[in-house]
Amino acid sequence: MEGRPADDSELIRRALRGEAAAYEEIVQRYQQVAFRTAYVVSGSAADAEDAAQEGFVKAFRALDRFRIGADLRPWLLRIVANEARNRVRSSGRRHQLELRLTEGFRPGDAAPSPEAVAVASDERRRLLEMVNGLSEDDRQVIASRYFLELSGEETAAVLGIPEGTVKSRLSRALARLRARVEEEAASA
Amino acid sequence: MPDLEQQLTDLGQAIAWPATPKLVISLPARRGGLGWGAPLMNRRWAMAAAAVLLILATLLAYTPSREAIARWLNVGVTITKVQHPPTPSALPSGTLGSELGLGLPTTLEQAQRQVKWKITVPAALGPPDAVYLRILPEGGEVSFVYAHVEGIPVAGETGVAVLVTEVQGQVRTEFFQKMLGPNTTIEDVVVNGHPGYWVSGSPHTFVFLDASGEAFPDTLRLATNTLIFADGGTIIRIEAYTSKERAIQIAGSLQAR
Repeated sequence: MEGRPADDSELIRRALRGEAAAYEEIVQRYQQVAFRTAYVVSGSAADAEDAAQEGFVKAFRALDRFRIGADLRPWLLRIVANEARNRVRSSGRRHQLELRLTEGFRPGDAAPSPEAVAVASDERRRLLEMVNGLSEDDRQVIASRYFLELSGEETAAVLGIPEGTVKSRLSRALARLRARVEEEAASA
Repeated sequence: MPDLEQQLTDLGQAIAWPATPKLVISLPARRGGLGWGAPLMNRRWAMAAAAVLLILATLLAYTPSREAIARWLNVGVTITKVQHPPTPSALPSGTLGSELGLGLPTTLEQAQRQVKWKITVPAALGPPDAVYLRILPEGGEVSFVYAHVEGIPVAGETGVAVLVTEVQGQVRTEFFQKMLGPNTTIEDVVVNGHPGYWVSGSPHTFVFLDASGEAFPDTLRLATNTLIFADGGTIIRIEAYTSKERAIQIAGSLQAR
């Protein structure tokens, strides 16, 4: 998680009082997850950048309607994801989300967990290819939950569906992915 | 073989995301005078834009300038002076009061759950047509909006006849100077046994000490006669184009809901 709700509330109060630096801090805190979320929704880095920028401006305009005590991150991500969807819709073009693997961990990256090390590089590549080969709905719900590590509430906000639907959609997506993994293991 | 969900979580650590760009956010001016209009990351441009706007505003303030600019731009516009502007439509679109920057529409019950003081509602006006809750000032601000009240005209283009606002804080008379415009007067009154103030004219700003002890400049949304008084740490404002006596009568009917 980036930041705690209590800190966010303080930043919102300061931003509403006219402190530009406070909103700047909110932008800095959430710009990475906002941009990556928009990328998962739009499949395009250029659209994701535009959507994140416009999303932060729209969130600022709506800041005084933000509910007291609510969590800022899902609210922000919902606005950014809506913006990304609108861009895809209005441009009439849909980019296929193609996720790729890093070529090893670069200096400064977090050290991989022991479990991550245990998964062979080839297996990871094959698994990602299978995720990329899923339907858009399946790919987006898996990317939101496991790659962006969004909560159920945040995933629901980003995909514009109820939290219960996130659970059922994720369960079905995992079942389809598991079937492909088993199918490949059987044919190997 | 590790569990599929664990594999996916590990895979997430190795995704090559596109580099996150440095976002440049130009913030719009906020309604209600509590915000700012400058871009966050390019203030030099903002200052230049502000200077241009100031010059344009100064020029546009005078009819001869407006006409000269119209001729210069050759836009074929005829500017005429209207002594009596047409009556605006009775109600703006959307929820009543949604254009006033009062916060999020809510219900009395939900608003009560969000604030610490006991909300009171003027029985003389009946149930409000809309209820709003705002995150600021500290501790929240609850507003009741009334569209039609017998004998009280709708204020300007707002579609609102009476606006009642409740907030935690203290009235400080030393801040009253901020409210005083050329056509604004302040008179001491007594409301339900509490000292109060009748502000007549077109006040735009009311500054008070909020629950955190900080001076908070709030906007008087209807910019019309306003009754202000504090009741046990709660400041209540009644904005309406009405008489002092009627406003005090409305305040006298306030009851815990």
